[in-house]
Parts: sequence; structure tokens; C-alpha cells
Amino acid sequence: MQKEKPKISVSNIHELGLLVACIIVLCVFGFSTDYFFSQRNFMSILRSASYVGLVAFPMTFVLISREIDISVGPSVAWSGVLFAGLIKWYGISYPLAAVIVLLWGILLGYFVGIARTKLLIPTFITTLALWSALRGFSLWITDGMPVLISDKTFRYVFGGDLLGLPTVTWIMFATFILFWFVSSFTVLGTNIYAVGGNPKAARSIGINVDSIKIITLAGTSFFSAIVGILYVARVSSGNSTVGEGMEFDVIAAVVVGGTALGGAVGRMTGTLLGVLFIAMIGNGLIHWGIDPDLNKVVRGIIIFLAVVINSNLSLKKHAGPKED
Amino acid sequence: MEILKLNNISKYFGAIVALDKVNLSLNQGEVLGLMGDNGAGKSTLIKIIAGNFKQTEGQITFENEKVEFSKPMDARNKGIEVVYQDLALCDNLTAASNIFLTREIKKRIGPLSIINFNKMFERAGHIFNELKSETLPRELVKMMSGGQRQAIALARTKLTKAKMILLDEPTAAISVRQVAEVLDLIRHMKNEGMSIIIVSHRMPDIFAVSDRIAVLRRGRLVANKNIKNSSPEEVTALITGAIEEA
Repeated sequence: MQKEKPKISVSNIHELGLLVACIIVLCVFGFSTDYFFSQRNFMSILRSASYVGLVAFPMTFVLISREIDISVGPSVAWSGVLFAGLIKWYGISYPLAAVIVLLWGILLGYFVGIARTKLLIPTFITTLALWSALRGFSLWITDGMPVLISDKTFRYVFGGDLLGLPTVTWIMFATFILFWFVSSFTVLGTNIYAVGGNPKAARSIGINVDSIKIITLAGTSFFSAIVGILYVARVSSGNSTVGEGMEFDVIAAVVVGGTALGGAVGRMTGTLLGVLFIAMIGNGLIHWGIDPDLNKVVRGIIIFLAVVINSNLSLKKHAGPKED
Repeated sequence: MEILKLNNISKYFGAIVALDKVNLSLNQGEVLGLMGDNGAGKSTLIKIIAGNFKQTEGQITFENEKVEFSKPMDARNKGIEVVYQDLALCDNLTAASNIFLTREIKKRIGPLSIINFNKMFERAGHIFNELKSETLPRELVKMMSGGQRQAIALARTKLTKAKMILLDEPTAAISVRQVAEVLDLIRHMKNEGMSIIIVSHRMPDIFAVSDRIAVLRRGRLVANKNIKNSSPEEVTALITGAIEEA
């Protein structure tokens, strides 16, 4: 048998580095502010991280397979408006409204996937169009006003806490485990990496590249729909303005987590760390009393630096033969 | 025994005659070197055998059975595997994952079916041992040399129980040492009784491993002879047209 040297792969280095960065950020904010280390604040960080994380895991697959979905923010808003609207304006029951919204999510991703694979329209373009259209439609149909619904049970179960953590955080952890499992141990996961690594090879070997892309794209839009519903549970209304800039947070978290924008490389554990990292920074800067507008600037810079480090570590070495 | 027989194969692309009544056969356990200049029809011929193209005229017989391939899967199902020049490997996956891509070994845990990586590493290790290759199953392909990549591509054909392999430029764009490694791999496959067609521009490599040589020029087969009765000089002359036919 052959001998194999144990070694640390690039992705391990990246995740270790990110873990260290998270701890540093935690310490810096923890010791420089009064309330960062409070339980309430941790709940708040976890809650905002969870909404982003729910979309970030499927987004990791989308980026690995060399596509992108920038429509997630408006998609979250539209899903929430649709959900609340179905209940309020049409008197549809909560479960049925949820089913309709989730089916809508799958259908939307399927549409983006078909546009990509059959009409050869880049996902950036299709989802940019959706980014504009979904937000616009949500605003128009609601006149920019919240669509109020009031079911205490629904709010309590999906918008509240469970065993000391926000319910949405439990859902996010479950989703993480699901995506980690799929990416590490299943044929579907391997095929997604193969499509990102060398689409031409994947096709010639007999992997259905089109289906893989459609599945990953349906993933982001399905989970955007879930987040849309969970936001409604949180604030008891469908809002056409929620999720603004969310696509930025999601993609940033995924890339900070070590996924290459050019595809082929990325891991769910990295994405989880990236999500927590971004959420902590966003929260900590508020504690520092930095103006919300400047907050965005600082986050932009930090994310840019993280990506520079990421691309120097991995992109050059990982980039496979380009096709598609 | 003939494993493959091509009878009067012609291929037209519109008015262009890519192949003109080619008759060629391959015996069980034989290595055939296929040579020719760019545009001579080598790739077209390989693609017809592999099921990528359909011949305009002529008949293919595989294992004494008339066959018609309308897609690569048809040829693969019969036991014809192609190893392309770019090798169709995924750089971001391990050697073992590449070998087993679409044929992963799985195990069941309750209702879930998951990939059995340990088994795949183990079997890939055995195959590499058989091939006398030092390729490591757990290593990512992007770290590997051209020779090791070739070993992975050949290992894949062992897994499918291929009966015949088409090698497209197996020694192009790799270092001298790796060329020796790849030629060893080919000899090894031949010793195990594999029937092989090699397409190559590299004359020394063809002469190093082939039993027979066939030369195409402008879509016509201009030589098909035992390698012992030929020489690199003669083949060069046949390729360029200095000798009409041999």
C-alpha cells in the first residue's frame, strides 16, 4: 500500500484562519463595548446570522457550480408579501399559503435554471432582472405598506425562541447539517463539485450538468422563500422593503467563508463561519456607535480584504479549466 | 481474434470528405498506433468509434457483432472507452472521486445512502498498484503531474471493465519522465489483454508501444502494417505524402 502524508489542505487553513478571525472580532468588540457580550446581544447576532445563513448554504452550492443568484433579497421580500397577502387578502390558511410560497420559490429557481441551461442566459443577468422586478412588484402591490397579519401561535412558534435560542437559529443549524451532509457524503454533492471543477468533463462522464445547475438555483430561491415566511413570523407582516442588501451579506458570507467566486471550491463549515463573522461585525460596529451608513462602508472594506486573502490563498491554485 | 472491424467507413461534413472508405481492424490485446497530420481524419475516426459522430457510410463490427452508435453512451455500454487528451478530470476532486465519478461506491446508513469514501480510496489504491502507478487516491487532482492524471483516466477504464480503449494523444504536453510512465501504463494494460488504439503525433512513443501502425492522409488509409516492417522515416513520408501508400 502507498504511504500518505497527513497534510492540511488550503480549505482547512482558510477555515482555521477564519475561526481565529472570528475569535479576534469577538474579543475586540467584547472588551471594547459594554453590551456585546450580553446574552441578549448574542441572541440578536444569532438571529440575524440565521436569516443570512439559511440562504448562504444553498448559495455556496450555486457559487461552487459557477453560477450566482443576486435576487435573494427581493425574493425574500416578495415571498413575505405573497405569504401575508394570500392570508390577508384571500383568506388562505397559513399552511396552504406557506406551501404556495415554497412552491413559488422552487419554480422561480427552476425558471432561472432553465434560462441558464436552455437559453444560455447568465444567471447574473436573470437574477439581476429578478432583483429589480421582484422588489418593484412587491412595492407596487403593497404601496410600500406592510401587509399585517396577526396569528400569535404562528408568531410564537416561528418568530420566537426555543430552548434558549431563536427558533430561526435552530432551523439554520438544521439546514447547515443538511447541506454539510449533502456536500460531504452524497453523490449530489460530489456532482455539484464536479460541475464546478470541470463542467465539460462532468458532462462527458455522464453527469447531467443542466439538472445540477437547476437544482442548486432552485435551492437558493426555495430558501429565500423560507426566509421570507420566517421574517413574516418575526414581525407579523409582509414587508416589501425587507432583505434590502441581503444578497450582499449572503454572497459576502459565502466568499469570506472560502468559496471561490469562480466556482469549484467551497465548504459549508466555511460558510457557517463566514455568516457568523459578517453578523458579528455588523453587530459590533453598531455597538461602537458607528453611523449606519459608515457601517456599510466598513463592512465593505472588511469583506473586500477577506476576499483578497481568500483569492490569494485559493483561487489561483484551485481554478480548474474554464468552460461554460 | 478481431475485436473491432471497420468496413468502408466514410464520413462527409457537407462537401468535405473527412474519411474515405477506411478499412481497419484491431485484434484482441493489440496496440494500434494511428498517425496522420492535422486534418487527416484521426479524430473523426476516433469519434465515430466512440459514438460521438455517426459515419455517413460503412459498417462497424465489434466483437463479431454489427453495432450502431448514436451517442457515446452506446459505445461505452459495449465496452469502448475513450481517454481524451484533456482527460476529463475534475481538478477539485480527489483521484479516487474522479475514478468513481458517476459510479460511486455507496453504503446505507438507515434510510440514507452515502458515499463510502474509505472503500473508494481502498479500491483506487488497488487499481493504482495494479497499474504500477504511484498516484495517491486521496490527493486532489490539481496537485498531480500529467502522468498521474493519465493514470487516473486509465484507472477509470479499468473500473468500467472496458474491452477496448481509445487513447487520444496520451503523451502530449507532458515531461519526458512522465512520458515513460504513461508508456509503461499502456504496456501494462496491453499485457493484461486490453485492446488499444493510440492516436499520437509523437513518433517515438508510437514505435515504443504499438504492434501495428496505421496512417491516415486526407481521410484515406495509406498504411496499415506491422510496426516491425516499418520505420519512422517511412511513416513520416506516408504522413506527408512523399510515399503514396505502403
